[in-house]
Amino acid sequence: MDHSKPPSSRTALRTLLIVLAVVVGVVVYAYGWTTTDISLDEVQDPTRTGNVQRALRELFNPDLFTRDREAKSFFMAFFIGCPEEEQQRGHVDLEGGAYVIVTPVCADPDDVITVEGYNFPENAIAGIRLNRDTGQAQPFQIIDASGKNTQESIFDVDNTGYFKVQVKVPRARGLSGETHQVEFQTVSPSGLPRFSETARTVGDKMIETIFLALMATTLAVPISVVLSFLSARNLMREIGVPLGTVLVGFMLLPVGAVLGWILLGRLGSLGVDWGEKPLQGILASAVALAALIAALRFINGIAPLAESVWGRRVRGLILNILMLTAGVFVLGALGGVFIWLGKQLDSGLAEYLGNFVGTLGKLVDLTIRGIAALGGAALLGSAGANWSADLLRHVREPLSNILGAIFGLISGALLMAATAYVGGQAVLLSLLNALVAALLGGEVAVLAYQRLFQTQNGKRQARHEDTRGDDASRTLLFFIGAVVAFLVTAQVLDLLRAIVDGRPPSEREWDILGLGVRIYLGEAAIIGGVLGAVAGGLAGTNMSFPLGMTVYNASRTILNALRSIEPLIMGIVFVIWVGVGPFAGVLALTLHSIASLGKLYSEQVESIESGPIEAVQATGANRLQTIVYGVVPQIIPPYIAFTMYRWDINVRMSTIIGFVGGGGIGFLLQQQINLLRYQQAGVAVLAIAVVVSVLDYASAAIRERYV
Amino acid sequence: MLKIEHLTKVYDNGVVALKDVSFEVPDGQFLVIIGLSGSGKSTLLRCINRLIEPTEGHIYWDGNDITEATDEELRQIRRRIGMIFQHFNLVKRSSVLTNVLSGRLGYTSPLWSFVNHFSREDHQKALEKLARVGIADKASIRADQLSGGQQQRVGIARALMQEPELMLADEPVASLDPATSHSVMKYLERLNHEDGITILCSLHFLSLARAYGDRIIALKDGRIEFDGDPDEIDDQRFRDIYGEDAVRVEIS
Repeated sequence: MDHSKPPSSRTALRTLLIVLAVVVGVVVYAYGWTTTDISLDEVQDPTRTGNVQRALRELFNPDLFTRDREAKSFFMAFFIGCPEEEQQRGHVDLEGGAYVIVTPVCADPDDVITVEGYNFPENAIAGIRLNRDTGQAQPFQIIDASGKNTQESIFDVDNTGYFKVQVKVPRARGLSGETHQVEFQTVSPSGLPRFSETARTVGDKMIETIFLALMATTLAVPISVVLSFLSARNLMREIGVPLGTVLVGFMLLPVGAVLGWILLGRLGSLGVDWGEKPLQGILASAVALAALIAALRFINGIAPLAESVWGRRVRGLILNILMLTAGVFVLGALGGVFIWLGKQLDSGLAEYLGNFVGTLGKLVDLTIRGIAALGGAALLGSAGANWSADLLRHVREPLSNILGAIFGLISGALLMAATAYVGGQAVLLSLLNALVAALLGGEVAVLAYQRLFQTQNGKRQARHEDTRGDDASRTLLFFIGAVVAFLVTAQVLDLLRAIVDGRPPSEREWDILGLGVRIYLGEAAIIGGVLGAVAGGLAGTNMSFPLGMTVYNASRTILNALRSIEPLIMGIVFVIWVGVGPFAGVLALTLHSIASLGKLYSEQVESIESGPIEAVQATGANRLQTIVYGVVPQIIPPYIAFTMYRWDINVRMSTIIGFVGGGGIGFLLQQQINLLRYQQAGVAVLAIAVVVSVLDYASAAIRERYV
Repeated sequence: MLKIEHLTKVYDNGVVALKDVSFEVPDGQFLVIIGLSGSGKSTLLRCINRLIEPTEGHIYWDGNDITEATDEELRQIRRRIGMIFQHFNLVKRSSVLTNVLSGRLGYTSPLWSFVNHFSREDHQKALEKLARVGIADKASIRADQLSGGQQQRVGIARALMQEPELMLADEPVASLDPATSHSVMKYLERLNHEDGITILCSLHFLSLARAYGDRIIALKDGRIEFDGDPDEIDDQRFRDIYGEDAVRVEIS
C-alpha cells in the first residue's frame, strides 16, 4: 500500500516545520527570559546574599514564645598585675554556692585567663566585666581556642550551671597593682514559656482575618445563588417569551419603579420612623399583617373573580400589590425596630449584637426606597407582561408589526437613554451605548434579511424553527448591521470626544415642553428608538424573544468582568471609599466572591440531572416551584462544598488584602516587613501557613463528604 | 378524547423526530406505543404535555388545544396529565414523601411551596397513594435508597397525586428486570381499569405491549407504521416495524 508510507517530500516538510517551530519557540522563550530580567549577577552579589541569609534566618526564627528572665550578678576580687610568687589556679567562692576556678588567679592586662564556673544559673547567658571605681565597666573579651579575639563578651552557661571560657583581661590606664571587682552577670530564663507580644497580636489579627473571610463569604452567598440560577444555561435556555410581551414588561419597568419609589418608598420610610418607636412599629406591623391576611381571605372569597381568567388576573394583581405594600411597610418597621434595638444594646456582649442589629436597621433605612422601587418595577412589569401575553397572542400581521414598531420605539429609546446615562458617568462606559446600538443594529439587519428573502409560514414555524443552514450569512449580516450601528452611534454621540479626549458628554440641553433634556441622552434615545422601531416592526409582537438567554448572557458577562478584577485592586478602591480597615477587605472579597461563587454555583446547576426537573414540570409546577423542588435538592451539597472552598480561598486572600489596607493579618505583615522586623513577620507567615493548611484540610474533608 | 393532528417535530439540529402524526385516543384506552429507539416515542409523549414544543400540528384534549395554550393554561392542563419516566426522574436526595407530594405542585400556591408547605389533605393523600402502590412504609426514606421497581412505584404515586385523567408512561419498565416490569405494568393496568385513566405507554417489548395494550401504535422514523389491535401484529408487520434483522425477544 503506498499511502501507508507518505511521500518523502512531505516528511521533509514536516521535519522542517517542526525545526522551525522549535527555533521560534526558543526565540520566544529567550525573549521572555530577557524581559523578565532573569540574571545570575544579582543572585551572587555578596551583600544581597548576606541580607537574604539574615532575613531568612530571622523569618525562620519567629518571635513566637517568650518567658521571664532573671538577672543575677556574682562578684569576685581580682588582682591585676601579678606578683612573682603567684599561684597557678585559684578557687574563688561566690554567693549562692557558685564558685569559679580562675587560671591563673591573677594576670596583667591583655593576658588571657581561663575561667571555669560552677553552680551558676542554668542555661543563662553570661558576661564578665571589670567594674572600675569611676563607675565604668569594661568587658572581658572572649578568646577562642586558636587564641583569636572574637570581639564577643557573651557566653552560654550550660544546663548544669557550668561554663568554661578563655577571656582577655581588659587593658586600661592605672589598672595594675590593684585588686579590682570583677562581676559575673547572668541572665537566665525563669518561669513558664508563654506567647510573645508579637504572637498575641498576630493571633488577634488572625481571628480578624478568619472572620473577614467568613463575612465576605456569607455576604456573597445569597447574591451568588440568585446569579447562579440566572447564569445557568440549562435553566435559562428554555425561557422564550413573545417579543411584544417582553417589550410591554420592559416599558412598564420604569413606570413601576417610579411609582414604587414615590408611593411605597414613602410608606417604607414611615415604617422605619414608626419602628424606631418600637411599640408603635410592632403594633402597626401586626395590624398591617392582620389586615393583609383579612384582605387576602376576602378577595379570595369573591366568587366572580375566581371564575374567569381575567378575574383571576385582576385578583392576582391586587393580591400582589397588597403583599408588596404590607411587605415594604413591615420591612421598614423591622428596620426601625432594629435601629432602636441597636441603640438599646450598648454594653458588654450585647454591644456586638446591638451594633450588628443597628447596622442592619440602618441598611434597611438606607435601601427601603430602592427596594420599594424594585418591587414596584417587578410587580408592574410582570403584570404587564402577563396581561399583554393574552391580548397580543391573537394579534396577527400587520397589526402585530405595527404594535411591534411602537413598542420597539419606546423600549429602544428607554434602553438607549438609560445606557447613555450610565455611559455618561465614565469614559470607558460610554462604549456601552455603541455596543447596545450595535446589538440592535445587528438584529435589524438579520430581521430585515429574513423579512425580505424568506417567507415565514405561520407563527409556530417562526417561534420554534430557527432557519438553520444559513448560519454563516446570518452571522455576516449581523456583523455588518452591528458595525454600521456602532459607527453611526459613535459618530452621533461623539464618542471620540469621550474616549480619545477623555471629556464628559456635553451638558447642553434641548428644551422640550419646558423640560430640559440633555442632548446627549436625547440623541441616544432617538438612535435607540429608530433601531427599536425598525427591529420591532420587522419582528412583530409574536416573534419569540430569547429572554432567558439574554439574561444568561448579561449575568455571565457581569460575573466574568467582576471575576477578572483582582480583589487587591477592588481593595484599593474600597479603602478609598470606607477607609483603611477590615471593612474595606470584606467589601473587596465579597465582590470577588460573588463573581467566583456565582460561576462555580452556576456550573453545578448546569450539571444537574434534567430528569427530575422534567418530572416536576410535568406535574404542572410553575418555574419557581420547579426550581424549589427539581433543582434545589440537587444542588445543596455542591453549594455547601463550594461555599466552604470559597471561605478557604477567602482566608488565603484576606491574608494579603491587608497589603493594600484591607485589614486582617496582611496589614501587620506588611508593616513588619517594611520595618525589617523579620522575626515578627515570621510569626505572621507561620500563622498564615498553619491556618490556611488547617482550613484547606477541613474544607477538603467536608467537600469530600458532600460531593 | 385525545386527538392528535398532523404533529411534526423538528429539533433545532435538524433531526425530524415526528412526521405528520395523527391519531385519536378515546377516553379509558390503554394505548401502547412501540418502535425502535429513536423512532419518536418519547418525543410524541412529551409533545402531548409540551415538555417538548411541537413544531407543527395540533393536540386537542377535551376540546382544548394544548399546543395553543398559554403558560398558565398549560399548567392547568399539565396537572391533569400524569407522567412516569424510564429513569423514574425522582429527586434522589429528597424523601419519598416529598417526591410524591411534588405531584401536587400544580394545585399548590407557589408561595406555600416556596416554604415547602403542603396541606394536611395533601399529606394524607400522599400516604394513601403510597399505600396503593404498596410502599407506605418507605415514606420517610430518601428516594435513592429504593430499588428500581420501588422508585418507579414512587413515580406512579407522584403522578397519581395529580388525580390525572391521562397518564403518559415513557418506557416505564425499560430500566427494570422482567419480574418487576410486570408488577409495574400491573399497576398501570389497574389504574386503567379501576380509575378509568387513559394511558399512553411506550414500550420496547412487543410481548408486554400485547399483554397490556388495548391498542398498539408503532412508530418508525417518526411516522405511524401500524395502528391497530395487538393481535394484528404478525411476523411481517413485526419486521416492518423493527427492521428485517429483528428477532423477537419474549419477556414473560
